[in-house]
Amino acid sequence: MEEFFQQLTNGLAVGGIYALIALGYTMVYGVLKLINFAHGDLFTYGAYLGLTLLTSLALTDRLGFALGVLVLVLMVMGLVAVLGAILERAAYRPLRESPRLSAVVSALGASIFLQNTLMLIYGARFQVYPDNILPATTLHLFGLYLPLMRVLIVLASVAMMAALYLFIQKTRIGTAIRAAAIDQGAARLMGIDVNRVILLVFLMGPALGGAAGLMVGLYYGQINFTMGWVYGMKAFTAAILGGIGNIPGAMVGGLLLGVIEALGAAYLSIAWKDAIAFLVLILILIVRPTGLLGERVADKI
Amino acid sequence: MKQHLLALVAALGLAVGGVTAQAADTVKIGLMAPLTGSWASEGQGMKKIVELLAEQQNAKGGVLGKRIEVVTEDDGGDPRTASLAAQRLTTRDVVAVVGTYGSSVTEASQAIYDEVGLPQIANGSTAIRLTEKGFKHFFRTAPRDDEQGRMAARTIDKLGFKKIAILHDNTSYAKGLADEANALLKSQGAEVVFFDALTPGERDYTAILTKLKGANPDVVLFTGYYPEAGLLLRQKKDMNWKTPFLGGDATNNVDLVKIAGKEAAEGFYFLSPPQPRDLDTPDAAAFLADYQKKYNELPPSIWAMLAGDGFRVIVAGIAGAQSTDGDKIAEYLHQDLKDYPGLSGPISFDAKGDREGEVYRVYQVDAEGNFVLLKL
Repeated sequence: MEEFFQQLTNGLAVGGIYALIALGYTMVYGVLKLINFAHGDLFTYGAYLGLTLLTSLALTDRLGFALGVLVLVLMVMGLVAVLGAILERAAYRPLRESPRLSAVVSALGASIFLQNTLMLIYGARFQVYPDNILPATTLHLFGLYLPLMRVLIVLASVAMMAALYLFIQKTRIGTAIRAAAIDQGAARLMGIDVNRVILLVFLMGPALGGAAGLMVGLYYGQINFTMGWVYGMKAFTAAILGGIGNIPGAMVGGLLLGVIEALGAAYLSIAWKDAIAFLVLILILIVRPTGLLGERVADKI
Repeated sequence: MKQHLLALVAALGLAVGGVTAQAADTVKIGLMAPLTGSWASEGQGMKKIVELLAEQQNAKGGVLGKRIEVVTEDDGGDPRTASLAAQRLTTRDVVAVVGTYGSSVTEASQAIYDEVGLPQIANGSTAIRLTEKGFKHFFRTAPRDDEQGRMAARTIDKLGFKKIAILHDNTSYAKGLADEANALLKSQGAEVVFFDALTPGERDYTAILTKLKGANPDVVLFTGYYPEAGLLLRQKKDMNWKTPFLGGDATNNVDLVKIAGKEAAEGFYFLSPPQPRDLDTPDAAAFLADYQKKYNELPPSIWAMLAGDGFRVIVAGIAGAQSTDGDKIAEYLHQDLKDYPGLSGPISFDAKGDREGEVYRVYQVDAEGNFVLLKL
C-alpha cells in the first residue's frame, strides 16, 4: 500500500508539469482552433532562460532562496510570455485567414526554428542547473519519501492553475477570452478586440509553459534543447484526454496522465508505460470523443 | 569460371576506381556522426577529433601524396536520418566512412555502405549482431557487448553482489547488453530480481526507482546511457535509497556527474574501455594535448576517441593497400593490419571485423566526481 501511495505522489508531480504545459495547448486551441506545436519549445526556453538568469544574476545568493526563486519565476514567465507574443505575431497572425493546415505547418516550422536556435546558442550538450540551489530536504511521512521540492512543484502548479481558472471565470478579460473561444465573429460584434484576446492567450499560455520549464530545470537539474518534444507530446495528450479547448480539462488530463503513467509502470510494465497511457487515452476517447470534460464538439486537426 | 568472372569485374572496378582517384587531388573520408539529437555532444566530439586528426595527417603530407578531406554527414542519432546520411555519403566520392555512435543507428546504414563496397568503421556501436551479418566492409573500433556482458557478470561476482536488478532502455545496444548480462548472471548462480526497461528522454524516473527499490536488489545494473543514469542517481538520492548502481559503458561521460550532482554520483560503478586521459599510449597523450589546445576542452568520451582510431585505421588501410579501393582497404584491414598503434591501444581486426583483445575496465566515481580506475 505504501508503494501505491508513493507511486501516486510520483505521478502527481509529473502530472502537475504536464498540466501546466497542457494549459498552453488548450487555451490556444480554444481560441484559434490551432495546435501550437511550438509550445513544447517555449517550455524548453523557460528552462534555458531560467538557467541563464539564475547563474548570471545569482538571484538566490542575493535575495535568499524563497524570494530569489520567486523573482526568477516571474522573470522567466515574463520573458517566455514575450516570446509567445512574438511567435504569434511572426508565425500565426499573418496566416490567420489562410487554411488551417498552413498554420499547422507554420507551427511545426516555428518549433524546428526555436529548437535549433537554442542548440546554436547553448550548444548540444546537456546543460545542468547548479545542484546546491534547492533545499534537498526529503520529508518522511507515513512511510513515504517525499522530496520537499516535489511537494512544492505540485503546490505551485496547482496554485497557478487555480489562479488561471479564477482569472478566466471571474474577470471581464476572462469573459472576453471565453467569448472569443465560443464565436470570434460574435465576440467582435460585441466590441471585443479579438486580436488582443489572442495576444493575451499567447502571453498566458507560454508564461505557464515557461514556468513549467523552469520547474523541471530546477528540480531535475538536467535540461537539453530537445526536452520540449517529449513534454510537449505528453502535455498535448493530456490536453486531449481532458478535452482540448477546456481549461479544467487540461488540468485534470495532465494530473491523470501522470498518475496513469506512474501506476502503469508500477503494476504492469515500465517498458509499456507509455503504451498503457495511450491505451487509456484511446479508451477514453472511444467512450467520450470530446475528452473527459470537453463539451463542444470541435473539429480537430 | 565464376572466379575468373569475379576477378574480371574486380579488375574493371579497379580500373574505374583508379581513374576517378587520379582525377581527384584529395582523398575523401566520410564521417557519419550524431551532430544533432540527444547524442549530439558525442557527435560534435567525433567531428572535432576526426577533423583535428585529418589536419595533423595533412600536415604530415596526407595519404598517398594527397590531401585528406573529411566529409561529414549528420545522422541525428536516429536510424531513419542515418540511412539518408549514408545514401548521401555514398554519392560523394568518399573512400571509407567512420561512424557512428549508436548501434541501431549504425545498423540502419550498414547495408547501404556494404552494397557499394565502402569500408565502414563504427566507433560506438557495440551490439553483437552488427558483425554477425557477414558484411565484408564493416569494422568497429568499439568492443562487442558480449565482451562487456562478460565483464559485467565478472565484476558483479567480484564485488560480491547476489541479488541483481537489471534495467535497460530498449535501444538495441542497451537491451543487447542487458540480455547478455542476464544470461551470464543466471548461469553463474546470481539471482536476477528485476528486469525491465525505461523510456529514454524523460526527466522523471521516480516511478521506476520506487519499483526497483521494492524488488530489494544488492545492486542495479543499468545498461542505458548517461543522461538517464545521471537522473536515476539524482532521484535515487532524493529517495534516500543507498543501493549501488553499476552502469554500462554508455554512462561513461563527463556530463554524468554534472547531471547527477557530485553527492549523488559518488560510489557509482561503471564499465568502460579506458577513458581518454587514462590512455597510456604516447600518441594519445600527444593528441589529447593538441586537442585541449585547439578546442579548450577534453573529448566527451572514449567513443569519440574511437572515431579518431577509426579514422587513423582508414588512413593506415589506404596507405597499406596503396589504394583507395574499398575492397582492397577492407582486405588489408582484415588480414595485414596487426597491432596498429591506435590512440586506445593496439588495434587488429578479426575475420568478422571485430576488434581483438580485452578493452574493458571498471571505474568508480569518487566524492569529487572523478572517475577512478578500480583494480579488481
